[in-house]
Amino acid sequence: MGLLTRSKETAPCTVTISHRFEELSAHVKFNNGAVVNPGDSVLVHGAEIMAPYGEVVEEERTATITRASWVEQQWTRWTGDFEFMELCEFSFSEEVLS
Amino acid sequence: MNKHVDTPEHSAYANTAEEAIAAQDALDGPEMTSEMATEVAMQNTLLTPRFYTTDFDEMDAIDVTPVRKDWDALIAQMKSDPNKGHFKKNDDWDANWEGMDPALKAEFIDFLISSCTAEFSGCVLYKEMKRRGSNSDITTLFQLMARDEARHAGFINDALREAGIRVNLGFLTQQKKYTYFRPKFIYYATYLSEKIGYARYITIFRHLEQHPDKRFHPIFQWFREWCNDEFSHGEAFALLMKTDPKLTESRVNKMWIKFFLTAVYSTMWVRDHQRPLFHDALGVDVTWYGQEVFRKTSEISKQVFPFTLDIDHPRWRQNLDKMERASIQVAKGKEKGGIVGTASRIAGMAKAATAFISILTIPAIHHDVPESSVMEPAY
Repeated sequence: MGLLTRSKETAPCTVTISHRFEELSAHVKFNNGAVVNPGDSVLVHGAEIMAPYGEVVEEERTATITRASWVEQQWTRWTGDFEFMELCEFSFSEEVLS
Repeated sequence: MNKHVDTPEHSAYANTAEEAIAAQDALDGPEMTSEMATEVAMQNTLLTPRFYTTDFDEMDAIDVTPVRKDWDALIAQMKSDPNKGHFKKNDDWDANWEGMDPALKAEFIDFLISSCTAEFSGCVLYKEMKRRGSNSDITTLFQLMARDEARHAGFINDALREAGIRVNLGFLTQQKKYTYFRPKFIYYATYLSEKIGYARYITIFRHLEQHPDKRFHPIFQWFREWCNDEFSHGEAFALLMKTDPKLTESRVNKMWIKFFLTAVYSTMWVRDHQRPLFHDALGVDVTWYGQEVFRKTSEISKQVFPFTLDIDHPRWRQNLDKMERASIQVAKGKEKGGIVGTASRIAGMAKAATAFISILTIPAIHHDVPESSVMEPAY
């Protein structure tokens, strides 16, 4: 890990989306066991994925993981904790109506 | 999917996935009426959950032996899944979006979207913990909680669809940054968010029992069993905190707990005051509601936290109101932009920070914590 530099790697991943009445969920799993650390970014390539209502969709995709620099990782470790409000139902949703 | 099973009129009445799809197809199909066409032209709303990572090794090392008896009982209860059949619509589901005042509708939709995002974020977080862990006590718990959150999110999603709002999961293919949460902060924050969620839902539910004419949407009738799920999730985090007394007893951690309590309470206050029409429609005085929810949450949190916030202190309400006014100033400044707008926004942020510190420094009310944290939802 660079002190100030980021690095990139690609990883195959499985994206699972459940868009059903009984479950709305979405998960990305790295198939090569790659682990995401604080401050890293993940970009899943390809077109937007959306399961039709009532279905579960699973797709194999490729993702690019941008590894945070050491400084960035430390920063995220110190500041990340303050984003916990997201877990509350009265959090400020940043929804984009289009 | 040209299957023609006996199509239920709404996907929610379906018994199987096939029927649900058929019902949805009937809506989306070519033989639709013009009203249905309008319904299909749904508004997109992009969910924006956050992605977390934590110290998974530390979480994996948790040993629940000190609370084994209570732990096993809770997990057995969650496994029995008492709410499995609850999140189904029945004849009591009488949603009438057309008859709703547009301004109220906007606030209510905002309420549903933030609820859905919170459930969704919880689900992503819990699922990630389940996947990264190897301690079966911990992974079982997170699996069960992810199940409930995904179920709640699905239920809200369906209610939103009826209002013509389609949830967009486009964030999956956008760049997303993983933020970090220390394990102990996950306990404090999720414990509080689950327990305050329970207090919020049950307070609305009990109020509407007394005032059924104010129930402007059927979803409120599902709140009681729903918030019992939140209650049990909170119980699990209380037990996790009980496994290590330092988490709630050390001087530094007590300061963190006070910080979390203050941050959660004050955010809720500010946020709820931004939805006046929603609370008016329910016939709920938002100030009364806030204090009532704090009272219930404080009473519950005595099970594990060694103190509660003094919500009757003279500085309490005064500074919450100050924070609320400051948040309006910040929003207006942001909207205005330019040098004047930015200056006003910064001044607003400074006011909010001062008010927050004033609340944070109110002396807490200490009490003895019971040996066992176990509690039943009693409100």
